[in-house]
Amino acid sequence: MTQPTPASTPAHPSLAQSPVAERLAEIVGARHVLNRPSELLVYNSDGLPGYRRQPKLAVFPGTREETIAVVRLLADEGLPFVPRGAGTGLSGGALADDIVVVGLHRLKKIISLDIENRRATVEPGVVNLRLNKFVAPHGLLYAPDPSSEAACTIGGNVAENAGGPHCLKYGVTLNHVLAMTVLLPSGDVVELGSKLGERDGYDLRGAFIGSEGCFGLALDITVKLTPRPQTVRTLLADFMSVDAAAHVTSAIIASGIVPAALEFMDGPTIRVVEDSIYAAGYPRDAEAILLIELDGLEAGVSADLEAVRRICLDGGARNVKVARDDAERMKLWQGRKKAFGAMGRLAPHLIVQDAVIPRTRLPEILDTIHRISEKYGVVVCNVFHAGDGNLHPNIAYSADDPAESERVHKAMTEIMQACIDAGGSITGEHGVGLDKMGYMESIFSESSLNAMCELRGVFDPERRSNPGKVVPIHACKEWNAVSGDRLRMAAGVSEPRPLEADPPRPSAQ
Amino acid sequence: MRTEAVVSAIKESAATHAPLRVAGRSTWLDAGRPVRADKTLSLHDDSGVVSYVPGDLTLTVRAGTSLSEIERVTGEHDQWLPLDPYGSGEGTIGATIATASAGPLASSFGLPRDLLLGLEFVNGRGDVVRGGGKVVKNVAGFDLSRLLTGAWGTLGVITEVTLRLYAAPAVDRTFAVVLDGSEREMASLIRGIITSPLAPYALLLLNSSAARAVGLGEQPVCLIRFGGNDPVVRAQINGLSQIARPEETETAVWVRVRQLDGNAHTTIRVVSLPQRFLAASARILSEDVPGIHTCIDPRRGVLRLNVGAEGEDGDGGISAIGASQDLHKNGADASDVIFEKLPAEVWREVSPSVVSDDLSRGIKRAFDPHHILNPGILGD
Repeated sequence: MTQPTPASTPAHPSLAQSPVAERLAEIVGARHVLNRPSELLVYNSDGLPGYRRQPKLAVFPGTREETIAVVRLLADEGLPFVPRGAGTGLSGGALADDIVVVGLHRLKKIISLDIENRRATVEPGVVNLRLNKFVAPHGLLYAPDPSSEAACTIGGNVAENAGGPHCLKYGVTLNHVLAMTVLLPSGDVVELGSKLGERDGYDLRGAFIGSEGCFGLALDITVKLTPRPQTVRTLLADFMSVDAAAHVTSAIIASGIVPAALEFMDGPTIRVVEDSIYAAGYPRDAEAILLIELDGLEAGVSADLEAVRRICLDGGARNVKVARDDAERMKLWQGRKKAFGAMGRLAPHLIVQDAVIPRTRLPEILDTIHRISEKYGVVVCNVFHAGDGNLHPNIAYSADDPAESERVHKAMTEIMQACIDAGGSITGEHGVGLDKMGYMESIFSESSLNAMCELRGVFDPERRSNPGKVVPIHACKEWNAVSGDRLRMAAGVSEPRPLEADPPRPSAQ
Repeated sequence: MRTEAVVSAIKESAATHAPLRVAGRSTWLDAGRPVRADKTLSLHDDSGVVSYVPGDLTLTVRAGTSLSEIERVTGEHDQWLPLDPYGSGEGTIGATIATASAGPLASSFGLPRDLLLGLEFVNGRGDVVRGGGKVVKNVAGFDLSRLLTGAWGTLGVITEVTLRLYAAPAVDRTFAVVLDGSEREMASLIRGIITSPLAPYALLLLNSSAARAVGLGEQPVCLIRFGGNDPVVRAQINGLSQIARPEETETAVWVRVRQLDGNAHTTIRVVSLPQRFLAASARILSEDVPGIHTCIDPRRGVLRLNVGAEGEDGDGGISAIGASQDLHKNGADASDVIFEKLPAEVWREVSPSVVSDDLSRGIKRAFDPHHILNPGILGD
């Protein structure tokens, strides 16, 4: 153990050149430890521009054994750390504020594939799309498909309980993970869940999924694979009003048909995509499009396709086009999946929301969002998982313009409040991270937040794994003064600093 | 009873160190588990719909609402909760979630954890806690809903749940395929059905005792439920007819299947890899042990044994344990045995604590520090 740093001096002033860095280098090799500020710049943000936190040090273990040794060393030193996958998250969850980043992207082995029983065991750094390409020749797929699938990792997906367009029918990460080997922040290794799918006792696997790196990190993950559907049909319906497309969405859901995906893009999003390299051939003059995918057995899909086409046309769709082949389908999807990236064309910064609302409230909430955007003079691009009611109202802006920033943040706060008032949730798939922590108290009571703190306390009694995320520290009644002091000394922080892009707390009025 | 009544009962119990047995209607899943409590906290009169907007396909109900009441309410809007745990429809949704009980529909629609969107519970200190929410997709905060599912009431008393619903299928038909002939012929028929591109709502293999008990004759059967729009059901019936000789049977047969547990004193669930069941099921089904109902869901990888439903003595429990251990040995080596129901006197002998690991014990201490909620029910 190192000597505790006196509280009056900055914590670990010399961590970057400290024996800790040297000892980490002994474990993983010097080239897999970054400690120069210039090298660490890459790790000072995640997929959500607008937040920057400079880590003190980053370490990239290459094997399971190295990962265990790294985390045990950090445990011995009482050092807080942030597990990180590909850094594609959209909640600021992977940011490390002057503490250690444990990057897991080198752990990328597909450990085993059991085709007959439809399951695979992978290391956390395996990229989502790579797993899908690996199992595709066997007629299988891994269902959760976040739009960042080409880069994001299964470990990160587990941490965030990631979703994606096809989660409407197939469910989110939680519904597809059977078991995990987890490395607790203490350095202990535990098995959660069962590769057989069911077991007695507490669902610790369920508790771990979506814990946003606060409960430790997964060393391996066993996932369920899904047979590829016999038939897939993709429709593009375009509308001259947002309201009509919203009503059609509600009508499709209410009809009981469960599309594989039901995605919504509004006019500003369509035009931004069509101006970009991801142009998908969407009608530029439309005010909204719905991208609807149906899959399953051929006979059933054909009948549902007809029913959905009818609902669209009755609801005011101008055209309903059915993709003729896989190439056309892929092109339609490309535009949707890269829409966030295309928004980079508009302005340097993007504020992304992830609220979920009851699906019958969609027309009304989209109207509210429109009114709020006019009130603050900002352009909202709506591109989202309409079938789930999972909104992504995004605003591209320049954070360097303080007046614009203020208007944008005020607009977003009002939009979020409208979604909460409609009985919704603050995040459907991106996680709370740093970005939505300020809203946690508007949807959870003090005792609910405290229960979450207690659960976390069991996995990570010292709160060293991804500190300062998800649940605001002041909501934790049992926040232990001793471990708190230890963490503060180690991290050099007392409470999370005010964030430059922090959304203001929703006001009480 | 409302949440406040549960709060005061728990606070009183904590103050007097008087543990509580938590119960739904107490008519169901009397699993014989050894709970050390003199007082019962029953939620059976805390029932009813809290909110139901059919267009959202979500339903919030009080925990004491029975499954049959949920079926009635949602049925009025041509919707359903595709959750058919073994037992009576008079069982409560709170107990279903607390015990994570599932039935034949689970292989298509998921386990209770997959259908649950959020819940309210009262922990062992009397704090009212909510996890999840009322919308179909939600990752806000740590997942208390999954934690409480299958915790058998030991972390908190569930008072309210929000569930995902589905549209009731336009067509819902059930067929039985008699599995006669040699073990080899049976195996090839089962494999043919399961590896075909059919996507039934439910598929269950019953041994001859179970088949007889549900009125399907004297032979092992494969029971198959097709649902969906008319073309997809018809196409699947045609597909099935090409590989087997299906006979249509009434959908109500599933109610009888769920009640196979009713009189059993012992129910054992063996969980294994689907392929292992595919390989072993013909042998298991052909070795009929009289009086033991065997149901295999090969897609879910689950076999359930019911003993004592036909009135044998208590030794049946022991013989069923023997039978499941045989299965363990015979080709299903990668398997788990979960005891669902045992004669009270047998529990301690055969079932170790399932919450003895450090994390589980830590969670129990955090959520029920006075150890007053169903102590002993998980072998703790």
